[in-house]
Amino acid sequence: MNHHFKPLRTALGLALALSLCGPLPVALAALAGPDAPAATMLPGSSLYQVDAGLTDQHGQPLRWSDLHGRPQLVSMFYANCHLMCPLILENAKALQKQLGADGERLGVAVITLDPARDTPQALAAVAADHRTPAAWRYLRPEPDAVRALASVLGVRYRFRDDGSINHTSVLVLLDAEGREVARSEVTGIAPDPAFVQQVRATLAAD
Amino acid sequence: MSRSMPLLSTTLAAVLALAPALAGAAATDAASGGGIAWRSIPGGAFRSAVRFEEERPVLPVAPFQLMERPVSNAQFAAFVARRPEWRRDRIPALFSSPGYLGHWESADAPGARLDPDAPVVHVNWYAADAFCREAGGRLPDFLEWEFAAAADATRADARHDRQWRLRQANDGTPHAPDAAADAPANVYGVRGLHGAYWEWTGDATSLLGGGDRRGRDDGDALQYCGASAMAFNDPADYGAVKRFVLLSALTPAATLGNLGFRCARSQP
Repeated sequence: MNHHFKPLRTALGLALALSLCGPLPVALAALAGPDAPAATMLPGSSLYQVDAGLTDQHGQPLRWSDLHGRPQLVSMFYANCHLMCPLILENAKALQKQLGADGERLGVAVITLDPARDTPQALAAVAADHRTPAAWRYLRPEPDAVRALASVLGVRYRFRDDGSINHTSVLVLLDAEGREVARSEVTGIAPDPAFVQQVRATLAAD
Repeated sequence: MSRSMPLLSTTLAAVLALAPALAGAAATDAASGGGIAWRSIPGGAFRSAVRFEEERPVLPVAPFQLMERPVSNAQFAAFVARRPEWRRDRIPALFSSPGYLGHWESADAPGARLDPDAPVVHVNWYAADAFCREAGGRLPDFLEWEFAAAADATRADARHDRQWRLRQANDGTPHAPDAAADAPANVYGVRGLHGAYWEWTGDATSLLGGGDRRGRDDGDALQYCGASAMAFNDPADYGAVKRFVLLSALTPAATLGNLGFRCARSQP
Protein backbone atom coordinates (compact mmCIF):
# COMPACT_ATOMS: atom_id res chain seq x y z
CA MET A 1 0.00 0.00 0.00
CA ASN A 2 2.93 2.29 0.46
CA HIS A 3 5.30 1.20 -2.19
CA HIS A 4 6.66 3.97 -4.30
CA PHE A 5 7.96 2.90 -7.61
CA LYS A 6 11.27 4.34 -8.53
CA PRO A 7 10.79 4.32 -12.29
CA LEU A 8 8.06 6.94 -12.11
CA ARG A 9 10.05 9.21 -9.85
CA THR A 10 13.15 8.80 -11.96
CA ALA A 11 11.28 9.52 -15.14
CA LEU A 12 9.75 12.60 -13.61
CA GLY A 13 13.10 13.78 -12.30
CA LEU A 14 14.68 13.29 -15.68
CA ALA A 15 11.89 15.06 -17.46
CA LEU A 16 12.13 18.03 -15.13
CA ALA A 17 15.89 18.12 -15.35
CA LEU A 18 15.80 17.91 -19.11
CA SER A 19 13.28 20.67 -19.41
CA LEU A 20 15.24 23.07 -17.27
CA CYS A 21 18.91 22.38 -17.24
CA GLY A 22 19.81 22.01 -20.87
CA PRO A 23 20.29 19.04 -23.09
CA LEU A 24 22.61 16.71 -21.23
CA PRO A 25 22.18 16.93 -17.49
CA VAL A 26 22.29 13.19 -17.07
CA ALA A 27 25.59 12.81 -18.86
CA LEU A 28 26.97 15.76 -16.94
CA ALA A 29 25.76 14.33 -13.68
CA ALA A 30 28.13 11.46 -14.27
CA LEU A 31 31.01 13.90 -14.06
CA ALA A 32 30.70 14.27 -10.32
CA GLY A 33 33.37 16.21 -8.52
CA PRO A 34 36.80 14.96 -7.57
CA ASP A 35 35.69 14.51 -3.98
CA ALA A 36 33.23 11.79 -4.91
CA PRO A 37 35.21 9.27 -6.95
CA ALA A 38 32.95 6.30 -6.18
CA ALA A 39 29.86 8.21 -7.20
CA THR A 40 31.17 8.86 -10.71
CA MET A 41 30.35 5.28 -11.71
CA LEU A 42 26.83 5.43 -10.35
CA PRO A 43 23.69 6.76 -11.99
CA GLY A 44 22.64 10.26 -11.00
CA SER A 45 19.52 8.92 -9.34
CA SER A 46 21.46 6.48 -7.18
CA LEU A 47 20.97 7.02 -3.47
CA TYR A 48 24.71 6.35 -3.20
CA GLN A 49 25.25 9.87 -4.53
CA VAL A 50 24.99 10.95 -0.90
CA ASP A 51 28.47 11.59 0.39
CA ALA A 52 28.57 9.79 3.72
CA GLY A 53 31.11 7.88 5.75
CA LEU A 54 29.96 5.12 8.07
CA THR A 55 31.34 2.54 10.47
CA ASP A 56 29.97 -0.99 10.64
CA GLN A 57 29.29 -3.11 13.71
CA HIS A 58 32.82 -4.53 13.50
CA GLY A 59 34.35 -1.05 13.62
CA GLN A 60 35.25 -1.07 9.92
CA PRO A 61 34.92 2.29 8.16
CA LEU A 62 33.26 2.40 4.76
CA ARG A 63 31.63 4.84 2.36
CA TRP A 64 27.88 4.70 1.82
CA SER A 65 28.53 4.13 -1.88
CA ASP A 66 30.51 0.98 -1.01
CA LEU A 67 27.15 -0.78 -0.68
CA HIS A 68 26.73 -0.75 -4.45
CA GLY A 69 27.13 -3.93 -6.45
CA ARG A 70 24.16 -5.95 -5.24
CA PRO A 71 20.55 -5.19 -4.35
CA GLN A 72 20.21 -3.89 -0.81
CA LEU A 73 17.44 -3.74 1.71
CA VAL A 74 18.04 -0.59 3.77
CA SER A 75 16.36 0.70 6.89
CA MET A 76 17.01 3.25 9.62
CA PHE A 77 16.53 2.55 13.30
CA TYR A 78 18.25 3.01 16.65
CA ALA A 79 19.46 0.45 19.16
CA ASN A 80 17.58 1.66 22.22
CA CYS A 81 14.23 1.23 20.50
CA HIS A 82 11.99 -1.46 21.81
CA LEU A 83 8.77 -1.13 19.85
CA MET A 84 9.18 -0.60 16.13
CA CYS A 85 12.84 -1.40 15.64
CA PRO A 86 12.60 -5.08 16.59
CA LEU A 87 9.74 -5.31 14.10
CA ILE A 88 11.93 -3.84 11.37
CA LEU A 89 14.66 -6.39 12.05
CA GLU A 90 12.28 -9.35 12.32
CA ASN A 91 10.39 -8.27 9.21
CA ALA A 92 13.60 -8.04 7.18
CA LYS A 93 14.78 -11.36 8.59
CA ALA A 94 11.54 -13.07 7.64
CA LEU A 95 11.63 -11.50 4.21
CA GLN A 96 15.13 -12.73 3.52
CA LYS A 97 14.16 -16.21 4.71
CA GLN A 98 11.23 -16.30 2.30
CA LEU A 99 13.61 -15.72 -0.56
CA GLY A 100 15.35 -19.02 0.06
CA ALA A 101 18.77 -19.38 -1.52
CA ASP A 102 18.28 -16.15 -3.46
CA GLY A 103 18.16 -14.29 -0.16
CA GLU A 104 21.91 -14.58 0.16
CA ARG A 105 22.31 -12.25 -2.79
CA LEU A 106 20.36 -9.55 -1.01
CA GLY A 107 22.41 -7.18 1.10
CA VAL A 108 20.80 -5.88 4.28
CA ALA A 109 21.94 -2.60 5.81
CA VAL A 110 20.49 -1.13 8.98
CA ILE A 111 21.55 2.45 9.65
CA THR A 112 21.30 4.05 13.06
CA LEU A 113 19.64 7.44 13.52
CA ASP A 114 21.56 7.88 16.76
CA PRO A 115 25.30 7.78 16.05
CA ALA A 116 26.08 9.46 19.38
CA ARG A 117 24.88 6.47 21.36
CA ASP A 118 24.98 3.63 18.85
CA THR A 119 28.63 2.69 18.87
CA PRO A 120 29.77 -0.28 16.78
CA GLN A 121 29.67 -2.33 19.99
CA ALA A 122 26.07 -1.32 20.66
CA LEU A 123 25.15 -2.23 17.11
CA ALA A 124 26.95 -5.57 17.37
CA ALA A 125 24.90 -6.25 20.49
CA VAL A 126 21.67 -5.63 18.57
CA ALA A 127 22.82 -8.03 15.87
CA ALA A 128 23.54 -10.67 18.49
CA ASP A 129 20.29 -10.11 20.39
CA HIS A 130 18.24 -10.50 17.26
CA ARG A 131 20.34 -13.30 15.78
CA THR A 132 20.40 -11.62 12.41
CA PRO A 133 22.54 -13.16 9.66
CA ALA A 134 26.25 -12.41 9.95
CA ALA A 135 26.27 -10.72 6.54
CA TRP A 136 23.94 -7.94 7.67
CA ARG A 137 25.55 -4.59 8.10
CA TYR A 138 24.68 -2.33 11.01
CA LEU A 139 25.96 1.09 10.14
CA ARG A 140 26.76 4.16 12.17
CA PRO A 141 26.95 7.25 9.96
CA GLU A 142 29.14 10.23 10.66
CA PRO A 143 26.82 12.41 12.76
CA ASP A 144 26.51 15.12 10.11
CA ALA A 145 25.44 12.61 7.45
CA VAL A 146 22.37 11.22 9.21
CA ARG A 147 19.96 13.87 7.93
CA ALA A 148 21.07 13.49 4.33
CA LEU A 149 20.75 9.70 4.44
CA ALA A 150 17.33 9.97 6.05
CA SER A 151 16.21 12.47 3.42
CA VAL A 152 17.04 10.29 0.44
CA LEU A 153 15.62 7.21 2.16
CA GLY A 154 12.41 9.07 2.93
CA VAL A 155 12.83 8.57 6.66
CA ARG A 156 11.41 11.24 8.92
CA TYR A 157 12.68 11.33 12.46
CA ARG A 158 12.77 13.49 15.50
CA PHE A 159 14.54 13.09 18.81
CA ARG A 160 12.23 13.46 21.74
CA ASP A 161 13.43 14.91 25.00
CA ASP A 162 13.23 11.51 26.70
CA GLY A 163 15.91 10.19 24.36
CA SER A 164 13.56 8.18 22.18
CA ILE A 165 13.22 8.90 18.49
CA ASN A 166 10.03 9.10 16.52
CA HIS A 167 10.84 7.77 13.08
CA THR A 168 9.50 6.28 9.91
CA SER A 169 9.77 2.49 9.98
CA VAL A 170 10.40 1.48 6.43
CA LEU A 171 12.38 -1.00 4.38
CA VAL A 172 13.77 0.51 1.20
CA LEU A 173 14.81 -1.75 -1.67
CA LEU A 174 17.73 -0.45 -3.72
CA ASP A 175 18.96 -2.05 -6.92
CA ALA A 176 22.64 -2.87 -7.34
CA GLU A 177 23.35 0.69 -8.43
CA GLY A 178 21.52 2.23 -5.50
CA ARG A 179 18.35 3.31 -7.25
CA GLU A 180 15.21 3.00 -5.15
CA VAL A 181 13.01 0.22 -6.49
CA ALA A 182 10.32 -0.08 -3.83
CA ARG A 183 9.62 0.61 -0.19
CA SER A 184 7.56 -1.10 2.47
CA GLU A 185 6.24 0.47 5.64
CA VAL A 186 6.83 -1.87 8.53
CA THR A 187 3.74 -2.40 10.64
CA GLY A 188 4.41 -5.92 11.91
CA ILE A 189 6.80 -8.81 11.62
CA ALA A 190 5.16 -10.28 8.53
CA PRO A 191 6.67 -9.02 5.28
CA ASP A 192 4.30 -7.48 2.76
CA PRO A 193 3.87 -10.12 0.03
CA ALA A 194 3.84 -7.50 -2.72
CA PHE A 195 7.14 -6.12 -1.47
CA VAL A 196 8.66 -9.60 -1.28
CA GLN A 197 7.66 -10.03 -4.91
CA GLN A 198 9.48 -6.83 -5.81
CA VAL A 199 12.59 -8.02 -4.01
CA ARG A 200 12.43 -11.32 -5.94
CA ALA A 201 12.06 -9.49 -9.23
CA THR A 202 14.99 -7.21 -8.45
CA LEU A 203 17.22 -10.15 -7.55
CA ALA A 204 16.14 -11.98 -10.70
CA ALA A 205 16.99 -8.97 -12.84
CA ASP A 206 20.34 -8.41 -11.19
CA MET B 1 5.87 10.79 3.15
CA SER B 2 6.61 13.93 1.34
CA ARG B 3 7.03 12.25 -2.02
CA SER B 4 3.53 10.89 -2.00
CA MET B 5 1.85 14.29 -1.79
CA PRO B 6 3.64 16.49 -4.25
CA LEU B 7 0.60 18.37 -5.49
CA LEU B 8 -0.54 19.64 -2.15
CA SER B 9 2.98 20.53 -1.11
CA THR B 10 3.57 22.38 -4.31
CA THR B 11 0.34 24.29 -4.02
CA LEU B 12 0.93 25.30 -0.45
CA ALA B 13 4.51 26.27 -1.14
CA ALA B 14 3.37 28.32 -4.11
CA VAL B 15 0.81 30.16 -2.02
CA LEU B 16 3.34 30.99 0.64
CA ALA B 17 5.82 32.11 -1.97
CA LEU B 18 3.41 34.48 -3.66
CA ALA B 19 5.34 37.48 -2.48
CA PRO B 20 8.89 36.43 -3.21
CA ALA B 21 11.58 38.88 -2.36
CA LEU B 22 13.42 40.36 -5.29
CA ALA B 23 16.74 38.63 -5.50
CA GLY B 24 19.48 41.04 -4.69
CA ALA B 25 17.30 43.37 -2.68
CA ALA B 26 18.92 42.81 0.68
CA ALA B 27 22.18 43.15 2.52
CA THR B 28 24.85 45.46 1.23
CA ASP B 29 27.38 45.29 4.00
CA ALA B 30 27.93 41.57 4.41
CA ALA B 31 31.43 40.24 4.03
CA SER B 32 31.87 38.93 0.52
CA GLY B 33 32.67 35.32 -0.22
CA GLY B 34 34.25 32.75 2.03
CA GLY B 35 34.37 34.10 5.54
CA ILE B 36 31.58 32.92 7.78
CA ALA B 37 30.82 34.85 10.96
CA TRP B 38 29.41 32.65 13.71
CA ARG B 39 27.43 33.93 16.67
CA SER B 40 26.92 32.07 19.92
CA ILE B 41 23.41 31.29 21.06
CA PRO B 42 23.28 30.35 24.73
CA GLY B 43 20.32 27.99 24.59
CA GLY B 44 18.12 27.17 27.56
CA ALA B 45 14.58 26.08 28.33
CA PHE B 46 12.35 27.25 25.51
CA ARG B 47 8.64 27.20 24.91
CA SER B 48 8.20 26.65 21.20
CA ALA B 49 5.20 27.99 19.36
CA VAL B 50 4.98 24.52 17.88
CA ARG B 51 3.67 21.58 19.80
CA PHE B 52 5.88 18.69 18.82
CA GLU B 53 3.79 15.56 19.14
CA GLU B 54 2.64 15.03 22.69
CA GLU B 55 5.66 16.46 24.40
CA ARG B 56 5.61 19.05 27.11
CA PRO B 57 5.68 22.58 25.76
CA VAL B 58 9.01 23.65 27.28
CA LEU B 59 11.99 21.98 25.64
CA PRO B 60 15.73 22.28 26.29
CA VAL B 61 17.88 23.94 23.64
CA ALA B 62 21.61 23.19 23.93
CA PRO B 63 24.06 26.04 23.33
CA PHE B 64 24.97 26.34 19.65
CA GLN B 65 26.34 28.73 17.09
CA LEU B 66 24.53 30.26 14.16
CA MET B 67 25.79 32.17 11.16
CA GLU B 68 25.40 35.91 11.58
CA ARG B 69 23.87 36.13 8.12
CA PRO B 70 22.27 33.76 5.66
CA VAL B 71 24.63 32.17 3.15
CA SER B 72 25.24 34.66 0.33
CA ASN B 73 25.41 34.24 -3.44
CA ALA B 74 29.16 34.80 -3.23
CA GLN B 75 29.63 32.18 -0.53
CA PHE B 76 27.57 29.67 -2.44
CA ALA B 77 29.45 30.39 -5.67
CA ALA B 78 32.70 29.68 -3.84
CA PHE B 79 31.19 26.41 -2.62
CA VAL B 80 30.16 25.20 -6.07
CA ALA B 81 33.63 26.12 -7.33
CA ARG B 82 35.11 23.84 -4.66
CA ARG B 83 32.44 21.16 -5.09
CA PRO B 84 31.39 21.28 -8.74
CA GLU B 85 28.99 18.36 -8.31
CA TRP B 86 26.66 20.98 -6.82
CA ARG B 87 26.65 23.14 -9.97
CA ARG B 88 23.18 23.25 -11.49
CA ASP B 89 24.50 21.53 -14.63
CA ARG B 90 26.23 18.71 -12.76
CA ILE B 91 24.05 18.04 -9.75
CA PRO B 92 23.10 14.33 -9.66
CA ALA B 93 19.48 13.59 -10.55
CA LEU B 94 18.92 12.37 -6.98
CA PHE B 95 19.35 15.94 -5.71
CA SER B 96 18.26 17.93 -8.71
CA SER B 97 15.21 20.12 -8.93
CA PRO B 98 13.98 22.25 -11.80
CA GLY B 99 14.60 25.60 -10.18
CA TYR B 100 17.92 24.84 -8.52
CA LEU B 101 20.09 27.97 -8.90
CA GLY B 102 18.01 28.71 -11.98
CA HIS B 103 18.20 32.46 -11.39
CA TRP B 104 22.00 32.51 -11.63
CA GLU B 105 23.43 33.87 -14.84
CA SER B 106 25.60 30.80 -15.35
CA ALA B 107 26.19 27.44 -13.74
CA ASP B 108 29.12 28.71 -11.71
CA ALA B 109 28.26 32.34 -11.02
CA PRO B 110 25.28 34.44 -9.96
CA GLY B 111 26.18 37.12 -12.49
CA ALA B 112 26.23 40.89 -12.31
CA ARG B 113 22.46 41.26 -11.94
CA LEU B 114 22.50 39.66 -8.49
CA ASP B 115 23.97 41.16 -5.35
CA PRO B 116 26.84 38.85 -4.33
CA ASP B 117 26.09 39.57 -0.68
CA ALA B 118 22.38 38.84 -0.91
CA PRO B 119 21.18 35.51 0.47
CA VAL B 120 21.42 32.70 -2.04
CA VAL B 121 17.96 31.39 -2.92
CA HIS B 122 16.65 28.63 -5.18
CA VAL B 123 18.78 26.16 -3.24
CA ASN B 124 17.25 22.88 -2.19
CA TRP B 125 17.70 21.13 1.12
CA TYR B 126 20.33 18.74 -0.20
CA ALA B 127 22.58 21.56 -1.36
CA ALA B 128 22.07 23.54 1.83
CA ASP B 129 22.92 20.45 3.88
CA ALA B 130 26.04 19.80 1.80
CA PHE B 131 27.19 23.42 2.14
CA CYS B 132 26.85 23.36 5.90
CA ARG B 133 28.59 20.01 6.26
CA GLU B 134 31.47 21.31 4.18
CA ALA B 135 31.61 24.40 6.42
CA GLY B 136 32.03 22.16 9.45
CA GLY B 137 28.48 22.67 10.58
CA ARG B 138 24.94 21.59 9.87
CA LEU B 139 21.59 23.14 9.25
CA PRO B 140 19.92 24.34 12.45
CA ASP B 141 16.93 22.48 13.78
CA PHE B 142 13.63 24.34 13.71
CA LEU B 143 13.69 24.68 17.50
CA GLU B 144 17.17 26.23 17.43
CA TRP B 145 16.14 28.60 14.69
CA GLU B 146 13.03 29.60 16.59
CA PHE B 147 15.06 30.13 19.76
CA ALA B 148 17.44 32.52 18.00
CA ALA B 149 14.57 34.24 16.20
CA ALA B 150 12.67 34.90 19.43
CA ALA B 151 15.15 37.68 20.13
CA ASP B 152 15.02 41.26 18.94
CA ALA B 153 17.75 43.89 19.21
CA THR B 154 17.36 44.26 22.97
CA ARG B 155 15.51 41.23 24.31
CA ALA B 156 16.39 37.54 24.24
CA ASP B 157 12.70 36.70 24.08
CA ALA B 158 10.58 39.46 22.59
CA ARG B 159 7.66 37.24 21.74
CA HIS B 160 5.38 38.71 24.40
CA ASP B 161 5.53 42.00 22.48
CA ARG B 162 2.42 41.93 20.38
CA GLN B 163 3.54 44.64 17.96
CA TRP B 164 6.86 42.95 17.30
CA ARG B 165 5.05 39.71 16.75
CA LEU B 166 2.53 41.23 14.38
CA ARG B 167 5.26 42.58 12.14
CA GLN B 168 6.45 39.03 11.59
CA ALA B 169 3.41 38.32 9.51
CA ASN B 170 5.57 39.88 6.79
CA ASP B 171 8.46 37.42 7.23
CA GLY B 172 9.58 36.07 3.89
CA THR B 173 8.50 39.21 2.03
CA PRO B 174 10.29 42.48 1.23
CA HIS B 175 8.25 44.08 4.03
CA ALA B 176 9.70 41.82 6.71
CA PRO B 177 11.09 43.51 9.85
CA ASP B 178 14.70 42.58 8.99
CA ALA B 179 14.43 43.05 5.25
CA ALA B 180 16.02 46.49 5.28
CA ALA B 181 19.77 46.57 4.83
CA ASP B 182 20.21 48.59 8.02
CA ALA B 183 18.02 46.39 10.21
CA PRO B 184 19.79 45.85 13.54
CA ALA B 185 21.26 42.55 14.66
CA ASN B 186 19.43 40.77 17.45
CA VAL B 187 20.89 40.46 20.94
CA TYR B 188 23.05 37.55 19.81
CA GLY B 189 24.48 39.52 16.90
CA VAL B 190 22.47 37.48 14.38
CA ARG B 191 20.93 39.35 11.43
CA GLY B 192 18.06 38.81 9.07
CA LEU B 193 16.19 36.03 10.88
CA HIS B 194 12.96 37.89 10.22
CA GLY B 195 14.02 38.97 6.78
CA ALA B 196 12.75 38.77 3.24
CA TYR B 197 13.84 35.16 2.92
CA TRP B 198 12.75 31.94 4.52
CA GLU B 199 15.49 29.59 5.62
CA TRP B 200 15.82 25.82 5.52
CA THR B 201 16.15 23.89 8.75
CA GLY B 202 17.86 20.51 9.09
CA ASP B 203 14.66 18.87 10.23
CA ALA B 204 12.45 20.56 7.63
CA THR B 205 11.42 17.28 6.08
CA SER B 206 10.71 15.69 9.46
CA LEU B 207 8.58 18.47 10.89
CA LEU B 208 5.18 16.87 10.51
CA GLY B 209 5.97 14.41 13.24
CA GLY B 210 3.01 12.26 12.31
CA GLY B 211 5.14 9.46 10.89
CA ASP B 212 3.13 6.83 12.70
CA ARG B 213 0.05 7.81 10.73
CA ARG B 214 1.54 7.54 7.32
CA GLY B 215 0.65 3.90 6.84
CA ARG B 216 -3.04 4.67 7.05
CA ASP B 217 -5.32 5.73 4.31
CA ASP B 218 -6.31 8.89 6.13
CA GLY B 219 -2.80 9.79 7.21
CA ASP B 220 -1.85 12.32 4.58
CA ALA B 221 -5.06 14.28 4.79
CA LEU B 222 -4.91 14.51 8.55
CA GLN B 223 -1.34 15.71 8.54
CA TYR B 224 -2.11 18.62 6.31
CA CYS B 225 -5.43 19.69 7.71
CA GLY B 226 -6.53 18.89 11.23
CA ALA B 227 -3.26 17.71 12.64
CA SER B 228 -1.19 20.65 11.58
CA ALA B 229 -3.84 23.15 12.66
CA MET B 230 -3.75 21.69 16.14
CA ALA B 231 -0.03 21.35 16.48
CA PHE B 232 0.80 24.74 17.97
CA ASN B 233 1.31 25.86 21.54
CA ASP B 234 0.94 29.40 20.38
CA PRO B 235 -0.98 29.83 17.12
CA ALA B 236 -0.70 33.62 17.48
CA ASP B 237 3.06 33.48 16.94
CA TYR B 238 2.50 34.18 13.27
CA GLY B 239 6.10 34.21 12.18
CA ALA B 240 6.88 30.83 13.70
CA VAL B 241 3.61 29.27 12.58
CA LYS B 242 3.94 30.51 9.02
CA ARG B 243 7.52 29.31 8.88
CA PHE B 244 6.63 25.91 10.27
CA VAL B 245 3.77 25.42 7.82
CA LEU B 246 5.96 26.42 4.88
CA LEU B 247 8.88 24.21 5.81
CA SER B 248 6.76 21.20 6.66
CA ALA B 249 5.14 21.41 3.22
CA LEU B 250 8.42 21.31 1.34
CA THR B 251 10.15 18.27 -0.08
CA PRO B 252 13.96 18.24 0.21
CA ALA B 253 14.27 18.92 -3.52
CA ALA B 254 12.06 22.00 -3.42
CA THR B 255 13.44 25.43 -4.23
CA LEU B 256 11.84 28.84 -3.84
CA GLY B 257 12.83 32.35 -4.86
CA ASN B 258 12.62 33.48 -1.25
CA LEU B 259 14.08 30.45 0.50
CA GLY B 260 17.73 30.37 1.51
CA PHE B 261 19.57 29.02 4.52
CA ARG B 262 22.21 29.59 7.13
CA CYS B 263 24.27 27.03 9.03
CA ALA B 264 24.62 26.17 12.69
CA ARG B 265 27.14 24.21 14.62
CA SER B 266 27.00 22.56 18.00
CA GLN B 267 29.18 24.04 20.72
CA PRO B 268 32.48 22.21 20.87
